[in-house]
Amino acid sequence: MLEVSGLTTTYGAIAALRDASLTVGAGEVVGLIGPNGAGKTTLLGSIAGLLPISAGTITFDGGDITSTAPEKILRSGLALVPEHRRIFADMTVEENLKIGGITTKSSERAQLLDEMADLFPVLRQKWDTPAGYMSGGEAQQLAIARALMSKPKLIMMDEPSLGLAPILVDLVFELLETLRSQGRTIVVVEQNATRMLEVADRAYVLRSGEIVADGTGQELLDRSDLFDTFVGG
Amino acid sequence: MSELLQNLIDGLGRGSIYALLALGVAVVFGIMHLLNFAHGELITIPGYLAYWAFTNDWTWWALAPAIIVSAVLASLVIERIAFSRVRGATDFTMLLTSFGVHFIVAAGFLLYVGAGVKQIERPGWFANTVSLGSLNIEVFDLIVIGATFAVLGATTWLLQRTMFGLALRAAASDFDTARLMGVKSDSVIRGAFALSGFLAGIAGVFWIMREGQVTPSAGINPMLQGVLAALIGGLGSLRGAVLGGFVLGLAEVLLRSWLPVDIQNLTTGFVFVMIALLFIFRPGGLLSVPQVERV
Amino acid sequence: MLSRSFPQTRRDVAFPVIGSIVLFIVLLGGGMLYQTILGNGSAERLVTTMLIDAIIVVGIQIYIGNTGILSFGHIGFGAIAGYIFAVYAISPEEKLKRIPMAPFGLTDTQVSPTVAIVIAVAVTLVFALIVGIGLARSGAQSGSVAATVITLALLFVTHEVAKSWPELTGGNRGGISFGIGESLKTRLPILAMLFAALLVARLYGQSRSGKLAVAAREDNLAARAMGVNPLVQQMVALLISVIVVSVGSSLRVWQIGSILPDRFFFDYAMLTLVMLIVGGRNSVTGAVLGVAVMTAARELARRLGQDGFEVFGIGLDDAPLDWVFRENLNSVVLGLAMVGFMIWRPTGILEDWEFDQWLYSKFGRGDESEPERLAELDNIPDVRFDASGINVAFGGFKALTNAGIEAAAGEIVGIIGPNGAGKTTFVNVITGMVEPQSGEFSIDGEDLAGKASYELSRSGLVRTFQNLRLFGALTVRENVEIAALVAQEHRSERTLRDVDSLMAEAGLWEHRDRRARELDYGNSRRLELARAAAMAPSFMLLDEPTSGMSDTESITMIEQVRHMAATVGAGVIVIDHDLAFITGISDRIYVFDQGEVIAQGTPAEVQANPQVQAAYLGSAAMT
Repeated sequence: MLEVSGLTTTYGAIAALRDASLTVGAGEVVGLIGPNGAGKTTLLGSIAGLLPISAGTITFDGGDITSTAPEKILRSGLALVPEHRRIFADMTVEENLKIGGITTKSSERAQLLDEMADLFPVLRQKWDTPAGYMSGGEAQQLAIARALMSKPKLIMMDEPSLGLAPILVDLVFELLETLRSQGRTIVVVEQNATRMLEVADRAYVLRSGEIVADGTGQELLDRSDLFDTFVGG
Repeated sequence: MSELLQNLIDGLGRGSIYALLALGVAVVFGIMHLLNFAHGELITIPGYLAYWAFTNDWTWWALAPAIIVSAVLASLVIERIAFSRVRGATDFTMLLTSFGVHFIVAAGFLLYVGAGVKQIERPGWFANTVSLGSLNIEVFDLIVIGATFAVLGATTWLLQRTMFGLALRAAASDFDTARLMGVKSDSVIRGAFALSGFLAGIAGVFWIMREGQVTPSAGINPMLQGVLAALIGGLGSLRGAVLGGFVLGLAEVLLRSWLPVDIQNLTTGFVFVMIALLFIFRPGGLLSVPQVERV
Repeated sequence: MLSRSFPQTRRDVAFPVIGSIVLFIVLLGGGMLYQTILGNGSAERLVTTMLIDAIIVVGIQIYIGNTGILSFGHIGFGAIAGYIFAVYAISPEEKLKRIPMAPFGLTDTQVSPTVAIVIAVAVTLVFALIVGIGLARSGAQSGSVAATVITLALLFVTHEVAKSWPELTGGNRGGISFGIGESLKTRLPILAMLFAALLVARLYGQSRSGKLAVAAREDNLAARAMGVNPLVQQMVALLISVIVVSVGSSLRVWQIGSILPDRFFFDYAMLTLVMLIVGGRNSVTGAVLGVAVMTAARELARRLGQDGFEVFGIGLDDAPLDWVFRENLNSVVLGLAMVGFMIWRPTGILEDWEFDQWLYSKFGRGDESEPERLAELDNIPDVRFDASGINVAFGGFKALTNAGIEAAAGEIVGIIGPNGAGKTTFVNVITGMVEPQSGEFSIDGEDLAGKASYELSRSGLVRTFQNLRLFGALTVRENVEIAALVAQEHRSERTLRDVDSLMAEAGLWEHRDRRARELDYGNSRRLELARAAAMAPSFMLLDEPTSGMSDTESITMIEQVRHMAATVGAGVIVIDHDLAFITGISDRIYVFDQGEVIAQGTPAEVQANPQVQAAYLGSAAMT
């Protein structure tokens, strides 16, 4: 469904991502793990069209989306839940969700709003509250729900458990399970490597801007050198 | 008491026009961080159109919509020709670009119409007043205040209730994330300029009516009042911009009535001094938007 | 210990003087040539006007160029100076005609033009001081919009007052003018002042204050982290530039022979700004070039706009282009130049190229050999850093809970933890960039909580930045030098290391003349390290010094950090996510997770700690 090959992204002099290639099949949950600064966020940002790409190609759902504007990529069915959630703080929960569904028809949008309220009961409670007043866990749910509003064929999440208390991290992973059971295709960047690998069908390990390992979640869990690769050895 | 009331109404009338201008400045600033020093051209350009139309015997009923439409078009054209090319540039660059646009427009009129003052006849009811007890209220002020509140109400509805308004607010608060949601950057920026032009157009109708004339540099004053009012309110805040407009209008009128007669002509100077004091004690403006320094 | 002191005589004094002379001669020579070829009075007037404009533009450059703050207000200051000059210098007989009722008995006062200029400068400086305080309060920094509007407001106030105070200014129509024969007839004062303006601008640019102001222009936050108080340097730049602009404006009034409110308003502000921007606002050479280019362009446009024009004897049939070549074409040219440069080359023709510095690098520098390696200090002053009980919350999110660390001189202390653990927030707190809800920290018992970041770095706590904050337009050497300049002033009790040696130590010797923004990633990191070391810090705080580096580079970095710290006798507090790097470099380690210190100890102890592994591999590993 998503195919990335030879992707290189540079910030000024810094090559944040070098020659990265990966594939994601329909219905898969794919994890991207690796230490801070490994290029995971850059990879997602490049796919979503937020960052200018120096080399490589990205195809999604049969179409070339290399160097396309982010709004067009979203419209082709690829959504990103950005790092740090980036919710619109002075807009209400409902307004945040509506923006998420800006590409849908208004009748459909109303229906999606209902679906999200069912899927995330906490959002229903805070429906008319400005999103800036929500706790980290609530905001994360809003960010995910907002991305789901566009009915994406593939949803990418950047560190959904970042800065959350352990109990909320559990919640995020439960949510991943729920979304997977709905048959959605998901790419997740996670620092919480062990848990990610337990959930993921397949995963890629990044380090210093390169993809250094890949395999099914279980394969990577079984690899004894993972700890070293991951925390730097 | 009645004098104060009289001044309040005068100030509201003046402030209404400033509020419309400031809101237009703030909408554009919010979306692309451009402080538009060419905002006044959205009055100069329709001003010359009004002059032309007037010499062709248009009535104000036809003129007013023409002014508004031309302001919207001018805003869009200027965005297209100049500002779209400096999107994402530094604030410094965008500021000077808008300053340059002001000059090109002003010099263009100088070149093709000439430096002279062009008179536009005010409507017949312009000087009429209605008496309410001891108050003498200008019909013009009443119309300005009424129209402004109607427009502000409609703008609020637009921003709160329509998808375009939501997209505009989302893009103003976080442009990249809004694009990730599928908000089209071109459309939302053009929409912001159209809205800004519309607000300037409404203000322009009253501005041109009040001045009764237009010159190549006619845009300077409305631009300054709009920019200052937006800054008084707190750059980045739409509510602040409207508030700033009314505060500026009231300050001018009240100060003029309180100052001794022999220095009354320095009112504007004193208003500026008050603004300077405001910035010294409240650098972010009245409704300052908290700025987090990114480390 | 400092082998090269500041300012360096050749680079910072001699060559700027030579450069000023050359610029002066070239501008004047070009003008004289033009004047001789055309040989008429109007050409002569044009050249005189250009020379006066040059004084004012160079004056404005001192402020805008060095601080990066866009100011329209300098022409407002010019108006103040111009009126004061006129009121004092014009003879009582003339004043009786225009302003018989001038306040403060000014109608009867007359002083020589020189004294009048001095008075004009002095009074304008008072206004500049007040406006400068307002700018500082508004948080003015490079590119700040609010500061620009304040200066714009100043321009309007002066214009408004000039129009509506006819008792003093002669009002909007008449203005005030010199009597016949009283106005400036010789070019001598103009030439003298132009030369002086060039000298002042160039010497200021090379001075300590100028360099610190430029550092703040390039990166305000990093400059403060290097002990620079940008507001002080901006004020110095403002006052000096206002002096030059005031002198230039007085001459302008004297030469024209009269003053009107519109002479110092929008049009002139636009003209001078365009001149500055077109040439390149960050360089004095650029300012002078811009004056010449725009004077020529405007004159050409003016001539093209006249009917039956001809340029240098070549007549053109302008009929098909009649709609373009009209009167007032020159003002359109101004606007087009502004917008065009903003779109295609916002930094101007010359960017920040400075003639005399180019000359110096070609001919003035002589041979430079790479300095010897520095010896590590053996008697390090005993200094302690303590931080405890630090709490920070952003909204409802607790970023730090009761966090604290200790470090001693010469020690390398590591802080490690996963993304979002609060490491960078912690560094931001102890460098004064985030205010904690509670907590205290101190160096040697000196309480540092609540101090500004530039004060903290002067106290010996110097940081680097995770996302690299170098002074991009400055060379590698200048980056290090700026820190050394601050150290010279505020860290003189410590051992100050030579700038060249520090560059060599960091492996940057061959790159010393390259601009920081042209460096690759590894070298940028090393430059941050050298710049921090040049501050002679008691403690260096390194925020993710290896992020984005390859494994081999990280390993080299360990040695470089150790050695660099030892040569300046600094303790090191280093934050990194990379366990291998941290355990390789640190004497002791603190582990952060969820904003708390969850473990501390030697690298071996920390690595063996199951909680640490859990924080790294996820909570599932705990079970």
